[in-house]
Amino acid sequence: MEVSVIGNPQARICRAELAYRELGFRFGSEVISGESRNRVSFCNQSSKWKEIAIRCSHRSVKCEAIVSDDAPPFLNSTPKSKSLESVKLFVGLPLDTVSDCNNVNHLKAITAGLKALKLLGVQGIELPIFWGVVEKEAAGRYEWSGYLAVAEIVKKVGLKLHVSLSFHGSKHPEIGLPDWVAKIGEAEPGIYFTDRYGQQYKDCLSFAVDDVPVLHGKTPMEVYRGFCDSFKSAFSDYMGNTITGITLGLGPDGELKYPSHQHNVKRSGAGEFQCYDKHMLTALKAYAESTGNPLWGLGGPHDAPAYDHQPNSSTFFSDGGSWESQYGNFFLSWYSSLLTSHADRVLSVASSAFSGIGVPLCGKLPLLHQWHKLRSQPSELTAGFYSSNGQDRYEAITEIFAKNSCRMIIPGMDLSDEHQSPESLSSPESLLAHIKTSCKKQGVVVSGQNSSTPVPGGFERIVENLKDENVGIDLFTYQRMGALFFSPEHFHAFTVFVRNLSRFELSSDDKAADVEDETVSIGSGTGAPSLQTA
Amino acid sequence: MSTVPIESLLHHSHLRHNSRIYRGTRSFFIPCSLNLPSHFTSNKLLHSIRTSVGASSKHKRSVAIRASSSDTAVVETAQSDDVIFKENFPVQRIEKAEGKIYVRLKQVKENNWELSVGSSIPGKWILHWGVSYVGDTGSEWDQPPEDMRPPGSIAIKDYAIETPLKKLSEGDSFFEVAINLNLESSVAALNFVLKDEETGAWYQHKGRDFKVPLVDDVPDNGNLIGAKKGFGAIGQLANIPLEQDKSSGEVQKKSESSSDSTKERKGLQEFYEEMPISKRVADDNSVSVTARKCSETSKNIVSIETDLPGDVTVHWGVCKNGSKKWEIPSEPYPEDTSLFKNKALRTRLQRKDDGSGSFGLFSLDGKLEGLCFVLKLHENTWLNYRGEDFYVPFLTSSSSVVETEATEAAQVSKHSKKTDKEVSASGFTDEIITEIRNLANDIHSHKNQKTNVKEVQENILQEIEKLAAEAYSIFRSTTPSFSEESILEAEAEKPDIKISSGTGSGFEILCQGFNWESNKSGRWYLELQEKADELASLGFTVLWLPPPTESVSPEGYMPKDLYNLNSRYGTIDELKDTVKKFHKVGIKVLGDAVLNHRCAHFKNQNGVWNLFGGRLNWDDRAIVADDPHFQGRGNKSSGDNFHAAPNIDHSQDFVRKDIKEWLCWMMEEVGYDGWRLDFVRGFWGGYVKDYMDASKPYFAVGEYWDSLSYTYGEMDYNQDAHRQRIVDWINATSGAAGAFDVTTKGILHTALQKCEYWRLSDPKGKPPGVVGWWPSRAVTFIENHDTGSTQGHWRFPEGKEMQGYAYILTHPGTPAVFFDHIFSDYHPEIAALLSLRNRQKLHCRSEVNIDKSERDVYAAIIDDKVAMKIGPGHYEPPNGSKNWSVAVEGRDYKVWETS
Repeated sequence: MEVSVIGNPQARICRAELAYRELGFRFGSEVISGESRNRVSFCNQSSKWKEIAIRCSHRSVKCEAIVSDDAPPFLNSTPKSKSLESVKLFVGLPLDTVSDCNNVNHLKAITAGLKALKLLGVQGIELPIFWGVVEKEAAGRYEWSGYLAVAEIVKKVGLKLHVSLSFHGSKHPEIGLPDWVAKIGEAEPGIYFTDRYGQQYKDCLSFAVDDVPVLHGKTPMEVYRGFCDSFKSAFSDYMGNTITGITLGLGPDGELKYPSHQHNVKRSGAGEFQCYDKHMLTALKAYAESTGNPLWGLGGPHDAPAYDHQPNSSTFFSDGGSWESQYGNFFLSWYSSLLTSHADRVLSVASSAFSGIGVPLCGKLPLLHQWHKLRSQPSELTAGFYSSNGQDRYEAITEIFAKNSCRMIIPGMDLSDEHQSPESLSSPESLLAHIKTSCKKQGVVVSGQNSSTPVPGGFERIVENLKDENVGIDLFTYQRMGALFFSPEHFHAFTVFVRNLSRFELSSDDKAADVEDETVSIGSGTGAPSLQTA
Repeated sequence: MSTVPIESLLHHSHLRHNSRIYRGTRSFFIPCSLNLPSHFTSNKLLHSIRTSVGASSKHKRSVAIRASSSDTAVVETAQSDDVIFKENFPVQRIEKAEGKIYVRLKQVKENNWELSVGSSIPGKWILHWGVSYVGDTGSEWDQPPEDMRPPGSIAIKDYAIETPLKKLSEGDSFFEVAINLNLESSVAALNFVLKDEETGAWYQHKGRDFKVPLVDDVPDNGNLIGAKKGFGAIGQLANIPLEQDKSSGEVQKKSESSSDSTKERKGLQEFYEEMPISKRVADDNSVSVTARKCSETSKNIVSIETDLPGDVTVHWGVCKNGSKKWEIPSEPYPEDTSLFKNKALRTRLQRKDDGSGSFGLFSLDGKLEGLCFVLKLHENTWLNYRGEDFYVPFLTSSSSVVETEATEAAQVSKHSKKTDKEVSASGFTDEIITEIRNLANDIHSHKNQKTNVKEVQENILQEIEKLAAEAYSIFRSTTPSFSEESILEAEAEKPDIKISSGTGSGFEILCQGFNWESNKSGRWYLELQEKADELASLGFTVLWLPPPTESVSPEGYMPKDLYNLNSRYGTIDELKDTVKKFHKVGIKVLGDAVLNHRCAHFKNQNGVWNLFGGRLNWDDRAIVADDPHFQGRGNKSSGDNFHAAPNIDHSQDFVRKDIKEWLCWMMEEVGYDGWRLDFVRGFWGGYVKDYMDASKPYFAVGEYWDSLSYTYGEMDYNQDAHRQRIVDWINATSGAAGAFDVTTKGILHTALQKCEYWRLSDPKGKPPGVVGWWPSRAVTFIENHDTGSTQGHWRFPEGKEMQGYAYILTHPGTPAVFFDHIFSDYHPEIAALLSLRNRQKLHCRSEVNIDKSERDVYAAIIDDKVAMKIGPGHYEPPNGSKNWSVAVEGRDYKVWETS
């Protein structure tokens, strides 16, 4: 039957949601009503669920309030006292949110999911936008409709949006580079990263072609610039209000790194150097000649281990191995300088494209924690992180970020040393601490992310990381929405996580609330639904 | 599922809290769940309402109060001292209204007849009609002559008229339209369907147009009226015993013999026929609630009165301590009250003497704070107020305490005195204002805040859980989980893919991309293109397009010039575009090749149509010799004959050569990937092998449709002979093509319809259809354009389609899903099953173990990773090492997967 008490729970959400709505709506004239309504929620701590509700209400208020400030919210980066209250929580949408035909996939699920997250108190949503979807057909022909639709939903639900402009492809789900780029790649495979076996990594263009006009007479940087400009104008209505952050894809998987593991998903080894495409080799040769060692420019290191070999199985990464030699310094300095300059190019392009819109830019680093306990830290070397003075391998990068006033996203905040397999000599915690320190030195603001697959103890570890007063992380993006995310076990854990975040924020007056009897006309009995289910 | 967008909900709640202001806007209230598109469209409207409300909260309050006080003053002057609450709640009750559609033909004057079509249910009825002229063949409609069109008619394209039905008289619920028939015109028959614009529902006759014959020789396709046959609207077909047990030819014959009147009559006779229809209508009723404080006993007396018809039961509880949690008050209770599961009281209201509704009196302790209730009408019909419980607040000492405690207590209480203590209505706005003030004064304490905030929180929580569960279920069915391990595993499991034209990759899922009506729009290809993305995302891998050639019949199955690919479905360019579009989304496309027969262009010297034109200008040597109608000079047919058109003699070398060339041309020109072969009973399977070898399709399937075996009208359990004939044909093609598994469809019909699920296991414990013998060549289906759609030659048991799909989409064989079902209410369930099939990588050779085949339940486990059951009976997959979780579930079926 159509009319029944089934409607009841639905009505309830609206009541809850009303509070937020009220808020958004009055914003500007009377921010007030929402705040007060939301504050209501802080009196009860008798159940954990309540706290979640409390948390979210309060937080969403905060969020609005900050936006009302003149300064963009992201720039208020160093909170005076570190409490989790200032940490904004975002959740990433599925990578295939928009299909390559510009359809919004699982629209209903996303809508329901967004509402749930909104109620839970999540502030915003991260949306990966793929180059290969938007500029799929032909150079300069952009199709934003699918992503615009998502932005509209996010806006409607009242969440913030953080977009990630992805100039890379993805394997799962399969999203490639634009068709026209792939076509160019067929004719000229040199535009892709290539390993010493000649295998191409077709999900990202080689750093060596950044300024080479390989794309129908344009350089990749020019093409990225066009993409950014088009994005800016297509989303101008959302910029600064709904969209509060833009992340630039800096390499494979969006992270600033060489695809050192290429297709090897097991990641048992340290990865391999990806310097064998035509342009890389040319550059290496030129560099070798210019430094007076032309023989060093004929190829990459010959004694580096293969993908699935232990780093110590050959001499390159072992203690006193080639990496520490003069040759090693020569090669690694060159290899890492390409990474640094790539980051600089992309971030400069973006900061000039997005200058003046008041939306902060971000870039993401990888957390290459495997083999971190080895002196050579080979995973970082193959991915392009090296410092010739033997000091801070992240210094050059953080400088670039600082120069472009770009925030840094560091993933893997859920990883803890104790859950790593001892054989991998891995230490996510110390690496993370290292990068954070490096950022702090340069004044780069850090945002956090988890690794893409849930790990044991992950949420606790995230909370610890966020509490770290040393580095004020004020934004955390949880990756990523999907079936697993909403599965009962995981979603429960996630809500507990949100609750834990909120625990630190209760100030003393929250707890002092008197409980008094009063009739308030919101809220209704639970009688009817229970009757119905009975 | 709560798919209702937030905005509209917000709107509801606003209505509730400010009901006095918003009475007038009630029409915006949409009681059903909305989907997103409509949500977007309604958004602006809702927003504008919100804006006008929210602009000044102060005004809001005062308006509310003024309005309510005048209410009270008018209605309850005498008792205003005692009345502490009075409210008239409008409620909307959705009822299934049953009624009838009638068709009357009567003679006004000699050559002047009148046809009336009417309905007994209110609605915005539109008659959508057209005529057939004498000499018309086929099922096309034409515009009626001008003088037949009643006033108010609107022409729809060049073949139909829409005329609204009018109310017969005020106070009468009959709607009718009358059409004057001028029999001097050459109108042979009148065709129509009824449309209710209110609900958007179409009412047809046995799944086809109504057809009123005005001359004797109107061809009977089973939809004539005026001839006394079973009558039923769409949706009512279950009432009509379908002639499942006969092949289509027999059905036709039977219905003809049962028609006793019109056709045999000379001239026209008056008739009157009616047929039952049902429709969901919303009735507006109201519930009025008055609460009084009895000064002597200090009790609250609540009277509930309603004009809802029939028995009304109030489920109620009382509220204490500021919470709106339902609690059971102490006795005594009103008459006719019982305790319901310790959670609520159940009181049946007394019928009013005049039969106009019911009422009840509730005497409650004066200390209680309020009364919550919902109404139950009859089995499963519950009524609440705008999605919430009805709530009657009582004026208690505690609530006045609250008011005095509020920051501007004096003001508020002054207001509330002025308003005859209408606390509840203004309570909400008061609260907001209090809060605003609190904040404005930067008061951080929450002293005024209420315990029942807890309720709100719990509700939020419940809502979050619900939404998350919803999101989970959809994501789960549409995406593989993203953990790397599972992806790796899945890749490892993938068996080697061998392409065979009989099977494709083995993982194919077919979509029949048209129905019998698809030719009507003239732009089917374009319409289909728009669905490409959706079909791809549903998980289809192969699409079957309608026959593309020039054809004598609009549906395309009477091909004429094989090289002319402009058809009623669209032009050749549109066809190519469509194929391209589907290729782009990764779907292979099958062409419907009609190779058995071909319509001639010219008559021979005897006046027989047997000479062909166009690029394949064959003569009568291309026609089989054993059909006297067409005087073919070829050899005898190698199969059965199709009598409506010349059957092609495939034994002729030149014919085969031309057909092979044509097939290759179609592959190249259009881009088809394979074939659906029409009526392959008509020629030897060996020729098909020849054709397949030449055109090398990715996938091919033949339609070998003949009758199952019956004994005394009862379907035989053993259908081995039937499936053997199909398998023989596949064998003759050397397995180059698969065949539709008609056997499985037939057995499913009987098993589901008669609750004889034991039929689904053959004596060897295998599936009883072709799929049990040669699964990789069996294309399972439950409906196609012939069996279902508007032809309905052999319709799958109505309402049980999903059981059919739960069967074919989990079982081996290559399943084919019918277009009409995809874009129907079954969409989500079919989508979930498709996704499961793809997710679990079930394929045409998957292994099926039948776990149970009893009277009322059939259950099987496929490839050890999917379990399914159909039928009303109980089944749970065996506990063991496997962890089964329910993947898809619906009426009388359930599918599990290992997690």
